[in-house]
Amino acid sequence: MAALRTRTRTSVLPRTAAALTATVLLATACGTPPSEQGADSGRPITIGMSLPLTGDFSQPGREAKRGYEIWRDMVNAKGGLLGRKVQLRITDDASNQDTVVADYTRLITQEKVDLVLGTFSSLLNYAASAVAEKNKMLYVEPAGGAENIFNRGFQYLFYAQPATASHQADVFVEWIDSLPPDQRPKTAAFPTQDDPFTRPVIETMQRELEKRGVKTVYETVYPPDTTNFQTIAGAMADKKPDLIAQGAVFEDGVGLVRSLKQLDYNPKLLFQVSAPSNSFQYAKGVGEKNTEGVFYTVSWNERAKTPLNAEFVAEYGKRFDGATPAEDAADAFAAGQVLQAAVQGVGKLDQKAMADWLRSHSVQTILGPLRWDKRGAPQAKFVLAQWQNGRVEIIAPKDRATTTRVVNPKPDWQ
Amino acid sequence: MSALTAWLKQPQRSVPVLVLAAFALYPVIRPYDGYPHGVLGLGFLLGVQAVSWNIISGYAGYVSLGHVTFLGLGSYTAALLGARTGLNPLIFAPAAGVVAVLVAVLIGAVVLRTRGYAFTIITIALLFGAQIVALNWKGLTGGGDGVTLDIPPWSRDIQNLPFYYMFFALLLLTLAFSAWIRRTKFGAGLLAIREDEGKAGVIGVHTTRYKILAFGASAFFIGMGGAVYAYYITFLNPTGAFALLGAVTIVLSALLGGRGTLWGPALGALIVTVAGELATVYGGGANSRVLVFGAALLLVVMFLPQGLLPTVEAWLRRRRGGTVGYTDQAGALVARAIVLDRPRPPAAPDAPPLLEVRGAGKRFGGLVAVDGAALTVAEGSVTGLIGPNGSGKTTLFNLITGTLRADAGEVHYAGRRIDRLPPWTRGHLGLGRTFQMTRLFRGMTVLENLVAPLPDGGWRAMAADAVRGHEADRAKELLGYVGLAALADVPAGSLSYGQQKLVEIVQVLMTEPRLVLLDEPTGGINPALAERVVETIRDLNRQGVTFLVVEHNIPMILGLCDRVTVFAQGRRIAEGAPEEIRTDPVVLDAYLGDTPPEPAPAEGGAR
Amino acid sequence: MQFLQAVIIGLLIGGVYALMASGLTLIFGVLRVINIAHGALLVLAATMTWLLWRETGVDPILAAVATTPVMLGLGWLIHRGVITRLPQGSPAMTVLATFGLALIIEGVLNVTVGNIFRSATPDYFAQSFRVGGLALPKPHVYGFAAAVVVLGGLYLVLTRTWTGRAIRATAQNPAGAALVGVSGAGTAALAFAIGTATTGVGGSVLSVLYPFYPASHYDWIARLLGIIVLGGLGSLPGALVGAVVLGLAETLTATYGSLQWSTLVFYIVIMVVLLVRPQGLFGTRLREDALA
Repeated sequence: MAALRTRTRTSVLPRTAAALTATVLLATACGTPPSEQGADSGRPITIGMSLPLTGDFSQPGREAKRGYEIWRDMVNAKGGLLGRKVQLRITDDASNQDTVVADYTRLITQEKVDLVLGTFSSLLNYAASAVAEKNKMLYVEPAGGAENIFNRGFQYLFYAQPATASHQADVFVEWIDSLPPDQRPKTAAFPTQDDPFTRPVIETMQRELEKRGVKTVYETVYPPDTTNFQTIAGAMADKKPDLIAQGAVFEDGVGLVRSLKQLDYNPKLLFQVSAPSNSFQYAKGVGEKNTEGVFYTVSWNERAKTPLNAEFVAEYGKRFDGATPAEDAADAFAAGQVLQAAVQGVGKLDQKAMADWLRSHSVQTILGPLRWDKRGAPQAKFVLAQWQNGRVEIIAPKDRATTTRVVNPKPDWQ
Repeated sequence: MSALTAWLKQPQRSVPVLVLAAFALYPVIRPYDGYPHGVLGLGFLLGVQAVSWNIISGYAGYVSLGHVTFLGLGSYTAALLGARTGLNPLIFAPAAGVVAVLVAVLIGAVVLRTRGYAFTIITIALLFGAQIVALNWKGLTGGGDGVTLDIPPWSRDIQNLPFYYMFFALLLLTLAFSAWIRRTKFGAGLLAIREDEGKAGVIGVHTTRYKILAFGASAFFIGMGGAVYAYYITFLNPTGAFALLGAVTIVLSALLGGRGTLWGPALGALIVTVAGELATVYGGGANSRVLVFGAALLLVVMFLPQGLLPTVEAWLRRRRGGTVGYTDQAGALVARAIVLDRPRPPAAPDAPPLLEVRGAGKRFGGLVAVDGAALTVAEGSVTGLIGPNGSGKTTLFNLITGTLRADAGEVHYAGRRIDRLPPWTRGHLGLGRTFQMTRLFRGMTVLENLVAPLPDGGWRAMAADAVRGHEADRAKELLGYVGLAALADVPAGSLSYGQQKLVEIVQVLMTEPRLVLLDEPTGGINPALAERVVETIRDLNRQGVTFLVVEHNIPMILGLCDRVTVFAQGRRIAEGAPEEIRTDPVVLDAYLGDTPPEPAPAEGGAR
Repeated sequence: MQFLQAVIIGLLIGGVYALMASGLTLIFGVLRVINIAHGALLVLAATMTWLLWRETGVDPILAAVATTPVMLGLGWLIHRGVITRLPQGSPAMTVLATFGLALIIEGVLNVTVGNIFRSATPDYFAQSFRVGGLALPKPHVYGFAAAVVVLGGLYLVLTRTWTGRAIRATAQNPAGAALVGVSGAGTAALAFAIGTATTGVGGSVLSVLYPFYPASHYDWIARLLGIIVLGGLGSLPGALVGAVVLGLAETLTATYGSLQWSTLVFYIVIMVVLLVRPQGLFGTRLREDALA
């Protein structure tokens, strides 16, 4: 529309516009097709990623950025990848699917980055992983554990967490199995948010526990915008279940604990999916004393004795005023580690070879050892965590445990 | 060829054509630009949505805040049909469009019977409702897990090029569709609804049907676009497919470019897309997209409510100077007598009255405006209706034409009872009226004012070309009769009051009326023009048109009319030939006596 | 027992909803403006309350004493700076403008305090009063009390003061009010400011009762619209009744029906009421019929 602004006599306009068109035509060359990769050289390896630095997922997005950057610096401090420095090309997708697709397309086809790493939240990874797949780029994602994402027949997709959502609570069920029969819960309640990540956790757990003879006395799926939890709490208080396992994202986890406490119902065991892992906010939200004995599963813990974990935690604390890394930062760091292992395992930047390598090898990360099935779905286990004395302890599996003490049954609300 | 060159010589045509040509050629020259192809493709899709939105919200003036719902519906339809059948989702694009239209028509049929706020609020509710349904109807939609689609089979080298052209083609189609609507009587009727919905009904515009159709029409290409979008993005989920921010983007684009114009929404969509992408690439992620969109929306509403295109056009017009020439009122005076296409046959002497009102009543709260009124109008007559202010004359007009609904009584017209019929149906039966204060569609041109009326309720009439052909010729001819042909392309709001009175009479004639109700046709205009109006009434009456005239100019009424009815306090007090009325003591008493005048209810406004 | 418990919770929640909806309906009554930013203003006030509570430890509900004047001023500014400058006679444009405002507030909160969930947790936040076998959660009781104070105050202002009567007169008949010397513009500004000021208390209560984050305002405005549409736009008693009805409906469907579809209730209420009884239970019409 620039033509509109030029001086206007009727006959000038078409000519201006035509000149504009001609300029566009002349100023262009054909470009190179995306399938032609630039030659390797001594230049740094560029890794592209689009992260939700703003918008709905900005919280995990910013943590992921920290995790990726720490990983990059630690790799470069040891001489980089294949002798080349690693540099990150991070763009912001504003938590928007259209933008994340545009971003990865730009990174791959226009900026011709050497490698890509995944973004945060399944909603964005669904769309972004398809761009990578189209362009035959290895795509290691630090988040996006919904089962469906692995059923699309993708060859280049790998999930850098220990398990998909449906298997996230397996470790809790196994812990229950390890209890003497008289200490196991007899009845259970399963409220869950209608969320693609927490619901499968609860559904699988319910199925497994029912197989073991635990009676389901209450179950409900509530929508994401539920704000009043007194009714759910009231219904459960009525049924008096031994175990309450909630598919809580965050605010609903806080809401339910408050309501249970207001109604003064205290189950013997309380399990919540992700809410308790947002340590600071969770403790603030429910009151620190009320966290005692709450179970959850998590991909990572800052005190786990996995290789590099201590260094990662220390580096994170150094950079961010002594803060403890969020799980999301650790997951991103681990995704970097997986990509690194694939590059080093193959010895060159061959996307297909790297994907094949990952399918047949196990990778040691700060989350513990990870391995994948044919679909790129991980085959390891989450850790079972419990709030004890205002901090988080790992109680299972044994190799990653930080304590042998388990609070069971849960003490009364404070 | 020379015709084409001439057509292209006009900048308002050549500029968009050249811009579109450049867009069509760009991928030919740069076939491997996957990223710009993707971004521009989504820009075209936004254009499809904004241009479509413009049909209901720009032309008809009913602002939808949930239009992205149709994109989501189209995406889901194509994706689910594709998944169920194993076929490529793109082939379900037409089905996606149809589903979007069905939902729009269904919702529209319920909501668009009403006016005002309700529509806007319900469109928001529709968006959130669709999201909740998509989330909870797991058997169909997969719920929150969403739906995944296959990756397109074509070469990665041209990955987004097919999408670019698909979105581009859809944009062209949508623009052509919108342009076509704008040229039809349907389009003129939509503008009329935006300008004055009550008046539109009176000139035969079936407003409910128009609005529902416009809402449906505004959904089709968005639904089709949704199918392509689903295949492009490869994953659908309820919160992404029915995103409020998407709906805001549509509104922002259309407002920015120019609501109600053909090209404005498309222009706005491209600006919003490109600006948004530049902000993403160079913005550094420091700002919030929500903040930028909100600020842009507020600023546009406050400071650029017309949009870019109309503002630029107005600016260009001012620079060029040279406004359209106005004929003065003398032009009207030298005009010729009107000749109707189809004069009405003279009525049989023993024919029943054309219009008969029995016991009509209307009250506004405690105020009785019309109280058991009776009135008869013989076919072929010019009947006068006089009475003091507040005697219920205008209210009675409103009851007869359906602008208001009577509380009691019956209205019979041409042998059928019409008091329960909607105003447009009464219009189609040949009942026309003018208003005391003229109610032309001020923002539309004089010609558009004349082509908007519909003589019948048929679909064919709606689809008729309003810009060229018979309708426009007829309108220009009628304008010629009243000496206003030179003003055909002037906004009606800029005419003098007397000119507006004349145009309103001509506007009624476009509906081929049998009975015309004139509410103070000579009120507030100069005597010469008033005489012209009287002559026009006589001309038309000679050609078989019946008139019912409300006037305060008693000498004029007595000179013009065959019969005169006198109203006072909402009921008939006298009826007879002019010479009888002149001397009737009851009438003299009503006019000169000490009966206190009642406050008149506002024209059509009070309820 | 479960039923009684649900009813009591529903009533308490309804009272809180009424508090939040009162300003929205007051503004509509006088200005015929649907302020879509009302939900965002609530969240803004809740955030301010939260910051006050965190920094000074003051009771969040009492913090309303500080936030209410701020919201009053902000309301006056919005009216002065935005509402009066909009194109006249286009309700849709007002909706768009206030929608833009809502997005701006959300965006500003995103940028300044961040996109995380917050909630104020004073000592009593998870405690209850025990009456017989029933539990009355303390924050709900206090929130309800605050609602009674505000709604009662609003009622007194509207009925006992000249200003209030001017506001009511303008709401019923702007032209008539102008005739008897009520300045339409001044009354409108006042009504908008007072309506916005109610979000000060509303936000305080919200901060204790519900975790919130910048984008929470969509849920709230949807809910509040449902309430005032049901009660009748512009009617204060209507908002009260609508709030209690929807508060009860929400808790009862949650207890006995499907929670998943219960959110749809608000939208269905909006649709059905607008179609069947556009004037709501009380109050003025939101729509004009084609024939009247």
